[in-house]
Amino acid sequence: MHVIHMGHDVFKANDKIAEKNRKTLDKHRVFSVNVMGAIGSGKTTLIEEAVRHLKEKYRTAVIAGDVIAEMDASRFRKLGVPTIPVNTGKECHLDAKLVEKALNDIDLDNTDLLIIENVGNLICPVDFKLGEHLRAVVVSVTEGDDIILKHPMIFKTAELAVINKVDIAHAVDVDAEKMRDDILSLNPDVPVILTSKHDWESLETWISFIELGIRRAQEAQRK
Amino acid sequence: MHEYSLACEIFEQVISTAEAHGALEVRHVILEMGRLAHANPEQLSFCFKAIAEGSIAENAEFIVEMIQPSLECECGYTGTLDKTQAGKDDELLSELLEYISALECPICGKNARITGGRELIIKSIDIETEVEK
Repeated sequence: MHVIHMGHDVFKANDKIAEKNRKTLDKHRVFSVNVMGAIGSGKTTLIEEAVRHLKEKYRTAVIAGDVIAEMDASRFRKLGVPTIPVNTGKECHLDAKLVEKALNDIDLDNTDLLIIENVGNLICPVDFKLGEHLRAVVVSVTEGDDIILKHPMIFKTAELAVINKVDIAHAVDVDAEKMRDDILSLNPDVPVILTSKHDWESLETWISFIELGIRRAQEAQRK
Repeated sequence: MHEYSLACEIFEQVISTAEAHGALEVRHVILEMGRLAHANPEQLSFCFKAIAEGSIAENAEFIVEMIQPSLECECGYTGTLDKTQAGKDDELLSELLEYISALECPICGKNARITGGRELIIKSIDIETEVEK
């Protein structure tokens, strides 16, 4: 019997492809957002709003990740933007390999913004980088105000946190400010946005955050 | 549930390495798993066993060694969290949260950067290359 030292990092295999994806996106000057969050948190609606208001200004494409079905993809297609559905089959997250494959189907030379809707889940997407420029997590008040502390890693590692459906916080007996405080206790530096699809101003904040990212990426490219 | 896909990747790596070394049997698979990784050792072991059925790793013992989170602070501090730093607060909801709550710099108290504790590494395998007499 003898021992073979391997030292093979299982996540690193994904991270390497993610780095490659990032380089591909940078080369084509595409800014990408990975939108993570639970089922029903409102990811699709928030992405629709962003697409609707940014598509005239920036050439926008969407990768719609789902376990099965094409419902979300068809919603984005209706907005007239290139949309690649990625069905994971049985997996609970998108990984870098799936995104790498999807990138082949996108005309990156004619894209400024790529929004990636991850599979609805607050756990598994944390371990898998995609090559994105901005990791955003969406959580809704309907998930209960203890949802953040139950899933600390996604909030600890997010670069933008959105608390959605705040207009119905009272109806579901949840304090959105407590949710904000919990996020900041885990990650003091992360910007936190409170949104509702019925409040345009709040959506504008969400959209302007993405736009800021695009502008910064474009400026960085010019330097 | 991403343990199944992780187990598939582990299985493929183990088998190809074992075969490259002329293994007739894989006796042990030793894994290192960060406490901040979202993988469950029991589920991973169960999935690996299911996948390895009928292979040279069928009877392999699957050993998972947990790695403590480590951190780095802008003040210059680097270190590993031990279990005594975490888990002081009875009200915390999970082990993961206990560790994350303890990820402040013990010197200056600032929010420190996670440098380790999220990995999943196939550390080594033990193989048999001769038929027992």
